[in-house]
Amino acid sequence: MSKVAIIDYGLCNLDSMARAVDICGGTPCVTAEASELKSADRIILPGVGAFPNAMKNLQDAGMVAALNEAVIEKGRPFLGVCLGMHLIAERSVEHGKTEGLGWIKGNIKRLEPSESTERIPHVGWNEIDFEMPHPLLSGIENRTDFYFVHSYHFQAKVSHHIVATTPYCGEFASIVQKDNIFGVQFHPEKSQKAGARLLSNFLSL
Amino acid sequence: MIKYCNRCLYPETKPDLSFDDEGVCSACRSFENRKEINWAQRQSEFTEITQRYRSNDGSNYDALVPVSGGKDSTYQVIKLLENGLNPLCVTGMTDSLSDIGRRNIENIKSLGVDYIEVTMNPTIRRRINRLALQLVGDISWPEHIAIFTIPIRIAVQMNIPLVVWGENSQSEYGGPAAAQESKVLDRQWLEEFGGLLGLRVTDLIGQEGIEKRHLIQYMYPSDEELRRVGVTGIFLGHFFPWDGYTNALYAQAHGFETYPTLVEGSLANYENLDNHQTGIHDYFKFLKFGFGRATDIANNHIRRNRLLRKDALKLVQLHDGQFPHTCLGKPIEETLAEIGMTLEQFNKTCDQFTNKKLFKCNNNGELIKNSMGNLIKINADTT
Amino acid sequence: MLGYCLIFYLFNKVLNYVLKTRIIPTLLYKDLGLVKGVGFDSWRRVGSAMQSIKVYNMREVDELVFLDITATQDSRQPDFHLIDDLADECFMPLAVGGGIKTIEDVRKLLMVGADKVVVNSQAVVTPDLISAIANQFGAQSIVVSIDARKTKSGDYEIYTHAGKTPTGLCPKDMSRCAQEAGAGEILITSIDNDGTMEGYDLTLIEEISRTVSIPVIASGGAGKKGDFSDALRCGASALAAASIFHFTEQTPLEIKHHLKDQRFPVRV
Repeated sequence: MSKVAIIDYGLCNLDSMARAVDICGGTPCVTAEASELKSADRIILPGVGAFPNAMKNLQDAGMVAALNEAVIEKGRPFLGVCLGMHLIAERSVEHGKTEGLGWIKGNIKRLEPSESTERIPHVGWNEIDFEMPHPLLSGIENRTDFYFVHSYHFQAKVSHHIVATTPYCGEFASIVQKDNIFGVQFHPEKSQKAGARLLSNFLSL
Repeated sequence: MIKYCNRCLYPETKPDLSFDDEGVCSACRSFENRKEINWAQRQSEFTEITQRYRSNDGSNYDALVPVSGGKDSTYQVIKLLENGLNPLCVTGMTDSLSDIGRRNIENIKSLGVDYIEVTMNPTIRRRINRLALQLVGDISWPEHIAIFTIPIRIAVQMNIPLVVWGENSQSEYGGPAAAQESKVLDRQWLEEFGGLLGLRVTDLIGQEGIEKRHLIQYMYPSDEELRRVGVTGIFLGHFFPWDGYTNALYAQAHGFETYPTLVEGSLANYENLDNHQTGIHDYFKFLKFGFGRATDIANNHIRRNRLLRKDALKLVQLHDGQFPHTCLGKPIEETLAEIGMTLEQFNKTCDQFTNKKLFKCNNNGELIKNSMGNLIKINADTT
Repeated sequence: MLGYCLIFYLFNKVLNYVLKTRIIPTLLYKDLGLVKGVGFDSWRRVGSAMQSIKVYNMREVDELVFLDITATQDSRQPDFHLIDDLADECFMPLAVGGGIKTIEDVRKLLMVGADKVVVNSQAVVTPDLISAIANQFGAQSIVVSIDARKTKSGDYEIYTHAGKTPTGLCPKDMSRCAQEAGAGEILITSIDNDGTMEGYDLTLIEEISRTVSIPVIASGGAGKKGDFSDALRCGASALAAASIFHFTEQTPLEIKHHLKDQRFPVRV
């Protein structure tokens, strides 16, 4: 079974992710120790909260260096969830400008309603639209709903890094990918069957 | 700390029970209200209703009586026969029927009635027993459905409008006022008070290979069908002062058989005799709410001045909430094996449904068990 | 009011809005088990929390709200062990409230499995708490819950401590302040309608929906399918309900089928 490191950087509910990984057949290892990443087959960066706090906590724990080594140098498959997806961008404007990990080109911007009826945060079940089949989405139909809860989004600079979009506030990237690095805006661990399928796909890559 | 009724031994955790300013529970108050009831008038009402519904020419039954073979349903049948009625008896068969249960069913037939037994597909039934145990902590959930649904289905199919139930459990066990006054058991009553615990029959479709076609006997008739036949359910307990113990005496006098020893976890040998799964069902009540069958029985005796509260407390402490190692002598492992569960899985499910606030735990937050494997309540009486 | 509702309703139809309306069962916990009341009174025991959580999880509901309604008045902290056990059975979003007073309470709740916290009484007592939570954990992690009763003059007044303490405050002002402080959502409950199953308070819902631009969850009074569509037409983003699911044969899915027939976007 894959050892899946789930990074604990002091910000959120890790239990749900750990249980979801367990149910999908992985061996979850919730850890705040940078050294644990060395032996992980997969790495998940979950997250709910503010970007600047998150980056600071990662830095302080020595996680940034460890992540770069495991993901960029060694090529371990990586999944960033919600805030975790944002952290792989270059920069965020949440609470002032903060640099991210810079793995996928793009910035984190606040969602802007395109219609007066669109409320921020974007909370609830919404669909992901994708055109090309993708290993993360195997067995998942186009326009399947996932659970979103966020006020910011990933504005990717390179269009082929965008795997799926969601039509809200215009349109935003709900899944991004570059090589072994994946980011999902929604919460697969809270998206019941669809989320479980996506996580299983991630574990089987 | 758990608060208990000042008169009986019900804890505040019991669903649908409320305590008044004097610390007396609604079940005790409901019983107290019986003094105000004009039973003679009620009995006249009963005669009037049954006469209204009886068959004019003997071509159909006068009423339908849901029966289980137990003391109460035996009593119900006897009462109807004494009133000159010709009832059709209907049983939604319990699973894991005990030998004594089978004999008591045959005894009802020998009273002189037509009888229909409906058995649900046991392989499906047992899957539902297990699912319900794991989902809502009630192994007997399909039994609750069967008890209410099968008789009504037959009433509709055979055009018998009057259905005579036994006690209105809301009345005896103290449910919301509206329910206590209710004479009639309809779909709304079933949903609200029938012990369905939030689970619906339609929830089962798609679980573990259960399909819609497996659930025909579980489907309550539609409102339209009920209206067409004019199905009206009444509670015998509304018209005659209900007492389970007296029912048992009456039933015994007519051939009803009791168990040779005390039923496990109970204070009686005259009820819950038909089904080996009842021990598990009652145990989960204890885990969730801190009281079991012994408490129910003790309270019935307390209210009727057959037992003092302080004496009842001692009996309850001896027998309530025991781990159901056996039920009517059958080991739990056998009962669990029938529904495809191991003892380990069972224990895990027990823990999930245990309300840890009610029981003593060690410093690590783990439940403490005594030498018999029983949990210990934090307080057995109001301190 | 009617005009606003109509405009909003038409907008919805034209946009082919894809964010799905959430139907959110609410579980109210008091001392030792689940309860349900009428007008925040006459609390009736309705059974064990675990079985409700499991049933809703099996039904894959959109979201769940779990509120410990006496924690604040008993000066108790949230029961973290209980939430931990319940969250283990939840594979959909779980919002937890009751007795939340400090950032540490929030952190612990999120750690044991809550996805969002619901702050009611303390939001009135310590308004800074809202912004503290939003700054630390993000706006999406905090729902500000407002319980309101109609006053004699026909306005609304906020009550805290499970409907016991009048505050003299107005729900509109409070919801605006909550949004400014960083709250992610407002949960607006009509105390008068709660448990009656006679319909939501549409005026209250419309007022709050018009006042804020964050999502509004309507609560209090749902008794039949039509109540849900009525509330949506007044601007609610999501609909919470309890009595209807405890005491009738309606399930969240049946409500959603009704809403789908009424052309509202739902997940079925």
